[in-house]
Amino acid sequence: MEITITGINAATFPHLHVWDWRVAMYLFLGGLSAGLAVMSSILNVRQGGALTVNERAASTAQILVPVILSIGMIFIFLDLERKLNVFWFYLTFQPLSPMSWGSWGLLVFYPVSILFAIAAVPAANRHRLLFRQLIELAEWLQKYRLHLAAANFAMGIFIGVYTGVLLSSFVARPLWNSAILPILFLCSALSAGAAMMIMISSQKKVKLFFTKIDIWLIISEMLLLPLFFYGQYTSSYAHRESIMPFFLFNHEYFWYGLAILFLLVILPCALVIKLLEIKEEHGETLPPDALLKMKLSAIIVLMGGIIVRFSFIYAGQLSHL
Amino acid sequence: MRKYAMVIDQRRCVACMACVVACKKENDVPPGQFRTRVIEKVEGVFPEVRMELRSELCNHCENPPCVYNCPTGASYKRKEDGLILLKKYRCVGCKSCLAACPYDARYINEKKGFADKCTLCEHRIKEGKEPACVATCVGKSRIFGDLDDPKSPVSIALKENHSEVLLAGAGTKPRVHYIKIFSKPE
Repeated sequence: MEITITGINAATFPHLHVWDWRVAMYLFLGGLSAGLAVMSSILNVRQGGALTVNERAASTAQILVPVILSIGMIFIFLDLERKLNVFWFYLTFQPLSPMSWGSWGLLVFYPVSILFAIAAVPAANRHRLLFRQLIELAEWLQKYRLHLAAANFAMGIFIGVYTGVLLSSFVARPLWNSAILPILFLCSALSAGAAMMIMISSQKKVKLFFTKIDIWLIISEMLLLPLFFYGQYTSSYAHRESIMPFFLFNHEYFWYGLAILFLLVILPCALVIKLLEIKEEHGETLPPDALLKMKLSAIIVLMGGIIVRFSFIYAGQLSHL
Repeated sequence: MRKYAMVIDQRRCVACMACVVACKKENDVPPGQFRTRVIEKVEGVFPEVRMELRSELCNHCENPPCVYNCPTGASYKRKEDGLILLKKYRCVGCKSCLAACPYDARYINEKKGFADKCTLCEHRIKEGKEPACVATCVGKSRIFGDLDDPKSPVSIALKENHSEVLLAGAGTKPRVHYIKIFSKPE
């Protein structure tokens, strides 16, 4: 068969390529900030806040949430073709558009995460807030810390799941058009958040607590990934074809094959390292080699999150009904 | 209420590309970009060869995924006639409509940055004219009209012929119908 097309547009031929690394980075950083928001809320609520005592992450994690989100937002802003029109996101609400939900959700997420970050500053560190008004605000918000933690948790879940919903709503792109994708992205976001908590926390008990959480999240991811591919394989022809870049291992799709190989290796690796961490007798404080292993496994999990976002963004645009 | 639609009689298409050119000229489409295209598909081995000529454009769907996915309401379905149009001043260029369209009918206007598309020449329809691609079609392959008017050319063409739509399974209910070259009515 020979096909000649007169009138092709570069953005859609031979396949769609409208979203690039900027969108993938936004999805990753958005997911990371959402996961970190959820984990920081858990840290503040768990055991009546006992985990936060003398814990560095208790004051830094919440601050990192809007910072990481802002970096992600810069990437997505760079991707917009008409940047000066960005205000239109907030002059309308389109109930059928996941992107509209997301933009309004981010508008809620920002103040919630910032207020929670201020409320969670320990009393001993409040003088570091520099401005008297901020210190007074932190004291006042202290009463609502638990409510803000709950709101931060809910918004973290919302943002974590939204990026996947955004992609899964495109009927035209079979790789994305799966109900498992939002759950996979949420799981990956939460896992990245837990990994970040492990990296920034100072105490052994906190690191081990989030290691245990991350183990369950990695197991969930390892279940969701094959389920996703199985669902696609047993669906329509277009859905089956959409996952082929990951499994053909030819030069055209080299990077997708490499991505799936990486995920097949690094997720179990991270899991094994984490299982060893919680089984090991560390004593009162963590020795340098145990710390190194924890950070290494956390970096592996973060790499997994990046690989998932990049490979899905690019491979999804190769797929077509 | 009108319900504008297009019928493409593939039996009458000669792939002269006049529709592609007329569209670009009429709508000032930037160089290298197109609102409509013509696909020439050759199948078989000589001497048993057959060719399908199919022109494609925005399907002005009943269930338009580009409109559903637009976060700013820039893409909209006009109530009076069901045309899928764009409020250019509202478009942020997020490209979700490009990703959402199963027919790859949209493009980012290189000059202005908005997600442009076929309007079925609504500015011409307003003046009582046909879309430029229809008016210029030498083989009368492109037929335009109101589906709700039983005497309109599209209603007659659809009544007299077996027609199909592209990617019916996507559930978009396109308003561009194809009278296939290899399928004749019983």
